[in-house]
Amino acid sequence: MNRAIEALEKGHQFSATFFVLDEEAVARYVEAVEDEALPRLAQAEGKAWVPPMAVAALALRSLMEEMTLPAGSIHASQELEFVRAVEAGERITCRAWLGHRSQRSGWWVLAVEMEGADESGQAVLAGRLTVMVPG
Amino acid sequence: MNQEAVGKERWVVGSELPSVAKTLSQEKIDRYARASGDFNPIHVDVAFAAQTPFGGTIAHGMLLLAYLSEMLTAAFGRAWLSGGRLKVRFKGAARPGDVVTARGRVQRVEGERGVCSVECLNQQNEVLVAGQAEVRMS
Repeated sequence: MNRAIEALEKGHQFSATFFVLDEEAVARYVEAVEDEALPRLAQAEGKAWVPPMAVAALALRSLMEEMTLPAGSIHASQELEFVRAVEAGERITCRAWLGHRSQRSGWWVLAVEMEGADESGQAVLAGRLTVMVPG
Repeated sequence: MNQEAVGKERWVVGSELPSVAKTLSQEKIDRYARASGDFNPIHVDVAFAAQTPFGGTIAHGMLLLAYLSEMLTAAFGRAWLSGGRLKVRFKGAARPGDVVTARGRVQRVEGERGVCSVECLNQQNEVLVAGQAEVRMS
């Protein structure tokens, strides 16, 4: 389903999505954000850690494929909890639902709650995205 | 900072975290779009963005959060990756040519968790992102 998000009811469950950040994708992300700290940490610990914000960005990206945000929408706020470190190659399943929906001053205020979990179902990420949609 | 020092600092209330500064360019924004898969035209389509209230392209909000995350990784190491929490509001747009500085300060310690104020500023000291990060400190 891909309906305009402001037309959805509070509690609406978006389709689950999944993604895998392999080492090549992680390297591309680290280069793009010029992260110097993550590679040092990964090397020091001998682990192929994924930058936590890469996990969040891919989770949000996968959600965006399930919802339509009209032009002029504003990413107003973001809450994230990184439950545990993710290693390159892990398959992350993302579930999300509309946690809040209200209208004021010509804007829809919408909050999307999301959870990312590994293949065993253990949470790796939780978050809340607030967007303001004209209307 | 050497490898062993990543996240091994001792932090106390009032400590400033080591800041991270990046100079944005359209090429960097495009590179982030390819890495994240977010090709919203407000970020990558110069002609489209020129017709919007922003008057030009702006950086992805999540790119700015990546700068905060780098700062927090450098400061707290694995504790940021496992158990870190971030709560921020986006207050302004970052544009190509801007110098974005991510900075933070330890505000208080609650049990074993430290609470830091964090923000991203541009070269005019305008706040682009502001909020709090929480991380295990023991």
